[in-house]
Amino acid sequence: MRNRVWSLFLALLNVNYGWSAAKYYYLKKRQRVWEPIVIAASIGPVLVMMLWFSWVMTEQLFMAGLSFGQPHLPLVIGTLMVAVVGLFFGFFYVLSSFYFSNDLPTLVPLPLRSWEILVAKLGVILTGQYVLGAFVLVPMIIRYGLLARGGIPYVVIALTVFLVLPVIPLVIASILAVLLMRFVNLSRFKDRLTLIGGILLLVIVFGSTYWMQENVGTDDPSVLIERVLSQADGLIYSIGRVFPPSVWSAQALGYATNATGWLNLFYLLLASVVGLVVLYLLGEKVFLQGALAGFEGSRGRRKHKQVEVQGESNSAFLTLVHTERKLFVRDPNFALNGLVGYVLFPVMLLIPLFGASLEGNPFERLDLGGLHPFLVVGGIALFFTLMIAMSMIPSTTFSREGRYLWIIRGLPLSIEQIMATRVVAAQMVNTIGCLLGLIPVSYLFGWRIWEVVLGTVFGIILSSTVAYLLVLLDLSRPMLDWVNPVKAVKSNLNAIFGLLGTSILGLLLGFIFYLNVQSQTLWLIPFELLLISLLLGSGGWYLGRQVAWKLWSKI
Amino acid sequence: MIRLQGVSKRYKGASTHAVRSLDLEVKPGEIFGFLGPNGAGKTTTIKMIVGLLKPDQGRVLVNGHDVNAEAVAAKHSMGFVPDKPDLYPRLTGMEYLNLIGDVYGIDGATRRRRLQHYLEMFQLTEAAGDLIQSYSRGMQQKLALTGALLHAPALFILDEPMVGLDPKSSHLFKEIMRDHVAKGNTVFFSTHVLEVAEQLCHRVGIINQGELIACGTMDELRKSPGRAGSSLEKLFLELTDEGGSDEK
Repeated sequence: MRNRVWSLFLALLNVNYGWSAAKYYYLKKRQRVWEPIVIAASIGPVLVMMLWFSWVMTEQLFMAGLSFGQPHLPLVIGTLMVAVVGLFFGFFYVLSSFYFSNDLPTLVPLPLRSWEILVAKLGVILTGQYVLGAFVLVPMIIRYGLLARGGIPYVVIALTVFLVLPVIPLVIASILAVLLMRFVNLSRFKDRLTLIGGILLLVIVFGSTYWMQENVGTDDPSVLIERVLSQADGLIYSIGRVFPPSVWSAQALGYATNATGWLNLFYLLLASVVGLVVLYLLGEKVFLQGALAGFEGSRGRRKHKQVEVQGESNSAFLTLVHTERKLFVRDPNFALNGLVGYVLFPVMLLIPLFGASLEGNPFERLDLGGLHPFLVVGGIALFFTLMIAMSMIPSTTFSREGRYLWIIRGLPLSIEQIMATRVVAAQMVNTIGCLLGLIPVSYLFGWRIWEVVLGTVFGIILSSTVAYLLVLLDLSRPMLDWVNPVKAVKSNLNAIFGLLGTSILGLLLGFIFYLNVQSQTLWLIPFELLLISLLLGSGGWYLGRQVAWKLWSKI
Repeated sequence: MIRLQGVSKRYKGASTHAVRSLDLEVKPGEIFGFLGPNGAGKTTTIKMIVGLLKPDQGRVLVNGHDVNAEAVAAKHSMGFVPDKPDLYPRLTGMEYLNLIGDVYGIDGATRRRRLQHYLEMFQLTEAAGDLIQSYSRGMQQKLALTGALLHAPALFILDEPMVGLDPKSSHLFKEIMRDHVAKGNTVFFSTHVLEVAEQLCHRVGIINQGELIACGTMDELRKSPGRAGSSLEKLFLELTDEGGSDEK
């Protein structure tokens, strides 16, 4: 018999990372065996790049920093990065795990103390921070240790820092979340909060990117290092004020062989222990009350406004189109992930216009205002096509239904009709989303109306054929087993495959346009777009006729 | 075993009470059926008993422990199966049961014996190694029942337990309830199936619009003026119609 907190932690860890699910599908059922290979192949290179980047940056900052008497600068930056990421994302993870998760009604009736549930859930989030730390902090610590010839004291301190550093930001995030939930019943506004949080995240990401570009932006890494080093003292001072544990960590590692290092390690441990004690007390006193308040969030017999009974009838086709569109747009989990591209595009273009100069704006360098009209047409068509894949609406259309797929399956409709409604719904959102960005951009670069209209028409045609193929892709392997709706879009390989396939098509089209420019046959572009649309459309239609029904009956 | 003293609950923003001044006592060795139309306050009452909701007024005592002040001690005495058990879909049945076993501190030998007994009884032995998300609704219900019975609770609380069970499992389950109370334990369950309540319960309580409008043995309810010889169905309809159901 295991300790109950440990047992709960292991169960939650298992659920979070899907170990039993992986064992069940890959080993027992021998299904989707290729999935881990594809995931490893796509994530592997990114992780290797992260490791390499941390390694090289540490080396360069260390070497350059030696002359400034700041060799441990890479450690300050690394620990700060882990801490800030932990604090920021930790807050959202904590909120979602503590209060928005579906398992609290299962856990609360069990004889578990509040802090036991809190600790088990926090432990699971902490493991995620260690994974991040493993790819950012570990290579940094190892490289620094090798360069500075750390010895055994360094290894001991490094291991302790690695384990303890993510605790403090998560504890701070948890304390904030627990207090917030105690006094504000956020669960009633879960959808609105997800939306606001997502938009806030976008603003922060773009704001910081823009700030970085304006303040430290440079293409030359040596210039960047020089700038960082020239401001090193100020930087460490500022960091120390904002988040002292990262400075303690860096000092502990940097001075591992003398008392300063151990003293800083002591500060770090002490802060972690104090934070955990505060969290324990809050967990005991406040967490359960917050959770219980959340259970009442959306209940209760309220006075409803009198609603007029709607007897107006519509065609089944249109009703399904609008239902698909509404279900996508109304769920912030879907909308935030799917519609982000439509927001990003105009924001990316507009942000630099408010800055001091247009220098560095990639669109300025492209000289979009001076493009040949048919290139504008081709570009717009390409934009529509890429955006429809990026929206993930067609490539996750059946997956998003999840356990509710039975509703549509029970309707007296052929799969061809259903697929057509899905394509039209995706196109409806796509056209509005694309035009939202396209109209200001066209105005900014002085594109003529006929170019934009023609590009939009070709865009709608081409992207619809692609959308049909993406719907077919999702029909062939819908991901219906999910509890958290985010997984239906974010963890759905259909969305990734769809984006990958559409990007390849985009590259191919780009290459054809390039050849058109070279051979001065830009007038061919509309015909090429039509031909590709025709090929994809007829191929997709034929494929659909052959397999769609079989796939639909197999689900 | 269960004592509700002046328990009231009104959800935030609601115009009326979900449960109002509820006084109720369920004794050891009893099967108590809690009846009422949709939205009458059955689930709210059950949620307050198991600690999922906090009453605005009054106290809930389970086995002598206040559910809010001595939550862990009270919860040790009970096993709860909600109307729609939301079990971790990505755990196997056995992993879920072991989690419950660990949380209730059931030793290995007892756990093995009870698991074998209930899994065989519910014909879940073979499926126990599969993911819960691959289970049918009935299987999930049976797994939740197994989990709730694993620590042989003194109080067994069930919200609509028969929903999703096939006739065989349903029959089996009634037998389990009878066995459970024969050992001096208590069963408290809500149901819409009046025949089940009539066959099984020592006492029933009828709640409507948050208020307990009748409580007693079947004989006691039938003895009330003008209701001699009435079936439970007739009694239920008469009582709840008088109060006026809140269903639209």
